Amino acid sequence: MDVLFQHISKKFGSVKALTDVSFTAHSGSIHGLIGENGAGKSTLMKILTGYQSRTSGTILIDSHEVTLDNPRHASKYGIGMLYQEPMDFISLTVLDNFSLGSPKQSQQELRFALESLTIRFGFHLDPNRLVESLTVGERQQIELLRLIHCKTRVLILDEPTTGISPAQKEVLFPALKQLAADGMTILLVSHKLEEVATLCDEVTVLRHGRITHHATAPFHFPDLLTAMFGSIPERKDKEAVRKKGSPVLLMQNIEAAGERHGLQNCDISIAEGEVIGLAGLDGAGQSTFLRLAAGLTLPEHGTIQLFGKKLPRSTKAGKLAHKLKTFFIPADRLEEALFANVSLSDHFSLREKQSPFWHSQKRARSQAKKAISTFSIKAQPDDHAEDLSGGNQQRLLLALLDSLSRLVLLENPTRGLDIRSGHRVWQYLKNELSPKTTIIFSSPELDELLHYSDRVLVFHDGEIVLDSAVTDTSHDSVAAAMTGLDEALQ
Amino acid sequence: MKKLCLDIVLGSLLVSGFTALVLLIAGAPVLAAFQNIWLGAFASTSKFSQVLSVWVPLTLCSCGLLYTFRANLWNIGIEGQVIMGAIGAMTALRIPGIESPVLILTLAFLASMIGGGAWGLLIGILKTRGGVHEIFGGLGLNFVAQAFILWLIFGPWKRPGIASMSGTELLAHKLWLTTPPGWRVATIGLLIAAAALILTWLLLEKSMLGLKLKAIGKNPKAALLYDISPESYYLTSIIIAGSCAGLAGCLQVTAVYHRLIPSISSGYGYVALLLVMLAGYRVILIPFLALFFAGLNVGAIQLPIVLQLDSALSGVIQGCCVLSALFILGIRQKRRQS
Amino acid sequence: MKKSLSGIALALFVAFALLISPIQSKASDEFIFGLLMVGPANDHGWNQAHFEAGKEIEKHIPGSKMIYIDKVNPADRPGITVPFLVDDLVSKGAKLIIGNSDDMKDGIREAAMLNPDIKFIHISGDDALSPESPANLSNLMGKMEYGQMMAGFAAAMTTKTGKIGYLGPLINDETKRLAAACFLGARYAWTTVLKKDPATLSFKVSWIGFWFNIPGVTADPTQVAKNFFDSGFDVLISGIDTTEALIVADQKKKEGAAVTAIPYDFQGACDPAPDACLGVPYFNWFPGYSHFINSAKNNTWKKEWLWLGPEWTDMNNNMTSSIAFQNGKALADGVAEQLAVFTKGLGDGSISLFSGPLNFQDKSVFLKKGETATDKQIWNLPQLLEGMVGASK
Repeated sequence: MDVLFQHISKKFGSVKALTDVSFTAHSGSIHGLIGENGAGKSTLMKILTGYQSRTSGTILIDSHEVTLDNPRHASKYGIGMLYQEPMDFISLTVLDNFSLGSPKQSQQELRFALESLTIRFGFHLDPNRLVESLTVGERQQIELLRLIHCKTRVLILDEPTTGISPAQKEVLFPALKQLAADGMTILLVSHKLEEVATLCDEVTVLRHGRITHHATAPFHFPDLLTAMFGSIPERKDKEAVRKKGSPVLLMQNIEAAGERHGLQNCDISIAEGEVIGLAGLDGAGQSTFLRLAAGLTLPEHGTIQLFGKKLPRSTKAGKLAHKLKTFFIPADRLEEALFANVSLSDHFSLREKQSPFWHSQKRARSQAKKAISTFSIKAQPDDHAEDLSGGNQQRLLLALLDSLSRLVLLENPTRGLDIRSGHRVWQYLKNELSPKTTIIFSSPELDELLHYSDRVLVFHDGEIVLDSAVTDTSHDSVAAAMTGLDEALQ
Repeated sequence: MKKLCLDIVLGSLLVSGFTALVLLIAGAPVLAAFQNIWLGAFASTSKFSQVLSVWVPLTLCSCGLLYTFRANLWNIGIEGQVIMGAIGAMTALRIPGIESPVLILTLAFLASMIGGGAWGLLIGILKTRGGVHEIFGGLGLNFVAQAFILWLIFGPWKRPGIASMSGTELLAHKLWLTTPPGWRVATIGLLIAAAALILTWLLLEKSMLGLKLKAIGKNPKAALLYDISPESYYLTSIIIAGSCAGLAGCLQVTAVYHRLIPSISSGYGYVALLLVMLAGYRVILIPFLALFFAGLNVGAIQLPIVLQLDSALSGVIQGCCVLSALFILGIRQKRRQS
Repeated sequence: MKKSLSGIALALFVAFALLISPIQSKASDEFIFGLLMVGPANDHGWNQAHFEAGKEIEKHIPGSKMIYIDKVNPADRPGITVPFLVDDLVSKGAKLIIGNSDDMKDGIREAAMLNPDIKFIHISGDDALSPESPANLSNLMGKMEYGQMMAGFAAAMTTKTGKIGYLGPLINDETKRLAAACFLGARYAWTTVLKKDPATLSFKVSWIGFWFNIPGVTADPTQVAKNFFDSGFDVLISGIDTTEALIVADQKKKEGAAVTAIPYDFQGACDPAPDACLGVPYFNWFPGYSHFINSAKNNTWKKEWLWLGPEWTDMNNNMTSSIAFQNGKALADGVAEQLAVFTKGLGDGSISLFSGPLNFQDKSVFLKKGETATDKQIWNLPQLLEGMVGASK
């Protein structure tokens, strides 16, 4: 099924999200849609899936004009989307989620279908598990399988590799190619050029809501980058390792529940000024580690010391961590870190340590304005956090970060950000924070981990399997440790 | 602006349509019914002042509810808080040996705030410590409060020789709150309600308390990252709500019934819940909508007098208003999403 | 979202603002009286008796016109008080206001003080006995004691088990004296007519808490009535304003139980279930109403406390008799004859039941041998009598 976009425009109030977008996604091909954060990719896909209406323009499917007023319409035409944030029911089992929206079939047939699809794509999904105990990556896998099972003919993938492991990438990509070869139309929304280059037959580049470039494989990277960013972002060489100071975070014999495997046998000491990268497949224990340090999760065994102070085994742990100037930014920004319909400037008021009785909007607004320009957040001080794109939300969170923090915990800080935005995040972290500030961050991107950290901790199935200075390790050995391979075996 | 006009037209059409339909089913002359309600509420000073005497407790309850709604708490327990406020006030009024009416009434107001606030706090503690959802905690405590007031009226506080639904013995005349001549509403009640409105507006819109309640209401998980404890703000909001409701209870005792009766709350807590939802949780609209609901409540008495209709129709009209509002809201939201 | 809500709010105001129009003027030659009823006007009981008396007045007193409102109680009409309703009725031209419930006592008194030009009748109260009370407030009551004695008599003549139940409203002087009168009528039938041992007569009073059922607040009269029948009581006398006792008796009768009931207040109270009805002691408010309305109309009003009894010669004459007993279908013919004899005895004074020796429930002496109670003693009966089971306070 060919999908034709003709002169699509979309306005949110006075903001133009899309202007005169026209292109064709051909049947049996993978069509890449790339662009910076906020370029309009998600909006365009929401229009195609019926979640948002277009202001003007037409969409033709197999040369028939279609109205896509609601998601039901879209799925009738066989349009299915795999969202970056899983849209599922977390209190149901994997099989239940898979079954929802599937054509009427018996439980056994559905289970069989799920299991065979799981094997086909090399995923590991237990049909009986509750979705709430799974990682974002695994939840996306269920969605993908469900879409395939529901006879989706136009598949939209929104940053599909965000949540899944490199190993899963290795099985997903051939599968997608196979699906395309079977005649499916696949639209891949991404900002990862390598992925796009590997997968796509055609690429359309969006910038500020307009099409700036169109190309077919093989691609010329500099052209794509220019179309995306206007100019090529430079990559700096690795900076010198910062000096180590006194211990900041001390974990002794920690055992904790959380994610798939929890965290076991964790003994670690982290010194002042270190930048620690947490590597590991999705759900291997990094998130639990970060939340333990932030006092948001309590260990079942063992002790945690922050700046020499033992964290109590109660809800006061989080308060103490906060008092000791620990700052945590979770990956799920709107769920855990921002207030949906609270304005940007109000976020700044809320962050104030010694909050006055009256709420000074003037002060907060000037803070917000400053942050908006410093962090190039595309928003106004009165805009609500929920109306920001993922990248802008992340920038807002960084702007809210207390520059006097002594321990900064970041869960996948560049999640959903393009290269330039990601780079800017790190620039800020390195420049604005004192060199004495300890940074611990997790990331699924090996390059990011190796590039920015002094020391990496590699997690596998709830245990730290490698603890090494960056200078003493390599891309390959970290990747091997992540997948549980013994280095000696290689 | 165009949308606003559309909403006005749509809203009034829906409300009048719904109500007219109900009236038609009841076999009543539609226009005459509307007209009588209006006249019954606003045709004379005495009637208007009666409307105001309903407006005062409604406004107070609504103000209280704004705090809990802001923190995303469903304070169904507001009824019980009104009742406990009334009981608190009565407890103070029964203290023997205090001669000065001013002193004893002041005590009554304080006691009512304590009574209502403590009852609210109980719901809050059940929620934060016991994990009992505030709707269930509130409903349960409403029943307890209702049972408690009945026990008092039929037990320790009954009239000498008579145990009756008509309540406790009438308060001494000096303990009745004074009304302007020819009016049926206590001056002090009006002042308290007006003060509550202004204070609520200031606190919710201009203070950090209001902002923090909003933040907690939107995302208690994220609040932790900002070092705001959801628990303590839940408790704060529900104590304030309870105190406002308690004041309403005190005014019901000292200004309206001059005694404690089993239905002292007059169901105003529940009406206020509807009212606040209809107002879209905004302070600015509360006084007007409260006036509308109070007018409906008082004016509807004309239906049985003049048209021999059941005055419960006013409740139907109130319900229609809220339903229409929610309906339009729903449409609007759906359209926005698509 | 916010905008649309404020829009709706505005809309409501616009809609109602359009409905303003001037009040119609009233013809001045008519005499309007207002009636405030505590319960529903069609309750087959207390309130309907008042309502129909008002309708009769409209027929018999030329130019008179009734305006009324029912369900005047804080549970049914939250936020509405008696003085406010009086204001409203007065603004509609009412010259005389009748409040039909003991519960309106405080409200009527307040309204009488606020409206000295308007005449007030408070049913069942005794304000007019006090010299300080306002001159425009009178009291009216029927001597229902007689009606209840007849009811008690009929019940005791009918019961097979010797167990008579009394479904009482709330506890006050009035209800205590009515229950006591009923008991005395029953005891007379049991001991004097049937010559049985007084100890074998069981007379139990259960109070529900108000004159009619308020769900969740009063005891449910239907349930209380069921409990009576289920525990062996075969005649149930109702002292409340509504007909639950009769309805339940009818159900039980249809299930095969030999039970009967006596409702209260209203001549037509047997109508919902005539087969289970022994009869009904009822008020006829017409004589009292017409007395007061005529005196108000003719400017001969004076403050009075009227306690009107039956017209013994013609008890069921609605023009003259304030109290009567209407025989029901379930009343056996023989019993009806004996009831007529009993009634005659009450009328000529040969039977006087509030006479000594009588003891209170706590065994203290109410009347010594040879003593007869005064009206005032009966009116202010402090507790139930010896031989009755049930709460006095």
